[in-house]
Amino acid sequence: MNNELKKTLQVLIVENSDVDRAVLINMLSKAPYGSFQISATDSLQETFQLLKQTPVDIVLLDLNIKDSNGIDTLKRLHTRHPDLAVVVNTGEYQDDLGLKAVTMGAQDYLIKGMYKSYGLVKSLYYAIERKKAEAELRKALEELKEMQAHLIRAEKMNVVGGVASGIAHEVKNPLATILYGVEYLNTVLTDGDEKIALTLRSMKDAAHKANSIIKDLLDFASLSDIKKEFYPIEKPIEQGLILTHHQCEKSQIKVIKQYATNLPDLFIDKNRIEQVMVDLILNAIAVMKNGGTLTVRTVRKNFERSDIHSASNLMDTVAIGEDVLIVDFEDSGNGISDEFLEKIFDPFFTTHRAAGGVGLGLSIARTIMDSHEGMIDLCNKDDQKGARARLIFKVKGM
Amino acid sequence: MGTEPKRILIVDDEVGFTEMVKLNLEDTGRFFVRIENDPTQAFETALGYRPHLILLDIIMPEMEGPDVLVKLRNNEQTAKIPIIFLTATVRKSEVYEERGFISGYPFLAKPCTVLELITAIDQNI
Repeated sequence: MNNELKKTLQVLIVENSDVDRAVLINMLSKAPYGSFQISATDSLQETFQLLKQTPVDIVLLDLNIKDSNGIDTLKRLHTRHPDLAVVVNTGEYQDDLGLKAVTMGAQDYLIKGMYKSYGLVKSLYYAIERKKAEAELRKALEELKEMQAHLIRAEKMNVVGGVASGIAHEVKNPLATILYGVEYLNTVLTDGDEKIALTLRSMKDAAHKANSIIKDLLDFASLSDIKKEFYPIEKPIEQGLILTHHQCEKSQIKVIKQYATNLPDLFIDKNRIEQVMVDLILNAIAVMKNGGTLTVRTVRKNFERSDIHSASNLMDTVAIGEDVLIVDFEDSGNGISDEFLEKIFDPFFTTHRAAGGVGLGLSIARTIMDSHEGMIDLCNKDDQKGARARLIFKVKGM
Repeated sequence: MGTEPKRILIVDDEVGFTEMVKLNLEDTGRFFVRIENDPTQAFETALGYRPHLILLDIIMPEMEGPDVLVKLRNNEQTAKIPIIFLTATVRKSEVYEERGFISGYPFLAKPCTVLELITAIDQNI
């Protein structure tokens, strides 16, 4: 006998009629194979309660019950419990209702009085198998979508990388000329000519901005060059905070540090990870222009699915239960809209282009985390205002 | 300091950049700067000018910086002249990572400030 058939099925009968309910229980108890643990109710409300309290493998669902009618009953159940196997069992026969039920999430459709014990049991077991196959298919589809997105990202980065190294040399030379010209004019400028001094300052700032864009592009182009060593994670965090200290002060941002003690060293490229830290801190500062709080936290734990929000992290390599070190940056800004969350890691996507953002920071950060077999996750905080950027590093096997 | 200004030769095909370097360095009163925008002439210019230090670009048409370096090192009159590579092909972070030296030679990444340039010259002259 197949192992699946040896298992006792937890069946929940949702049935309005006492008689029909008794018939179903009788049929299952006399079934030619399989064993069943049965619970029953006549309302959707109680169904939801029972599903909270006890594990259920499958629901045998009458569509017309005490507190719900027609296909809406299935819709409501499926919306709240999309992973539950459901066999619709109804006296209402319409040609298209069965098809409708199946497209709306049921695994099978039975008409009362039209089947016997054997047919019922077969339908239940098949429905569970179908549901499993459906879940696997959905998972494969999600992985495929993520893989496709990953390839598009990689291709974009390849193109950018090639272009970047090519233009960097051509652009840096004229920039150097401009900067040296400005420096010379500054030294010979007579005191008191504020307009000329302002012009020179603006030219210098513009040249530095252009240079930092080139630097971003070059960083992007050289991401394969990673040098790892064992290093305490607090150091790149602290260095990131030092480098951004001025901006934090300017925007009146209070930094709260909550570091766990006795953390193990991580096998990381300290410069690259510092770059990630700086980028996340600068992003946090950018959304708190009128002041706020930046909380930086480290914690070591066993990885759980709920530790990340982004579905695009499904492909990542950290396994559930794995020993990980988490670094969180929480801001008190207005959070990120769902639309932005989807695109936030795409190269050249930025919400602060006007302020000089090129839109490469987070794609660079993600690529750096990828090369450390780690994860980067962005989400809005559950309980309060603001967003959270999270880095997850594997403790072992790095 | 009271010493004679040091002779600096800059070999770089970027005309505007070399002129700005000359202006800034000579403005300090501590250096004389000779410009060579044609890398194929760099060796002869060095031989005649006898600089205390050479600032050498890497990517140049017709002859690249490392080839100029080999030519200078192969002649005993120019072999010992200190050289600083001044180039747009490396990033500042790479220069810091390597503590200012790549393949044994001091490097400066363009654009660097005049102060960084003078500091590097002082350290290598």
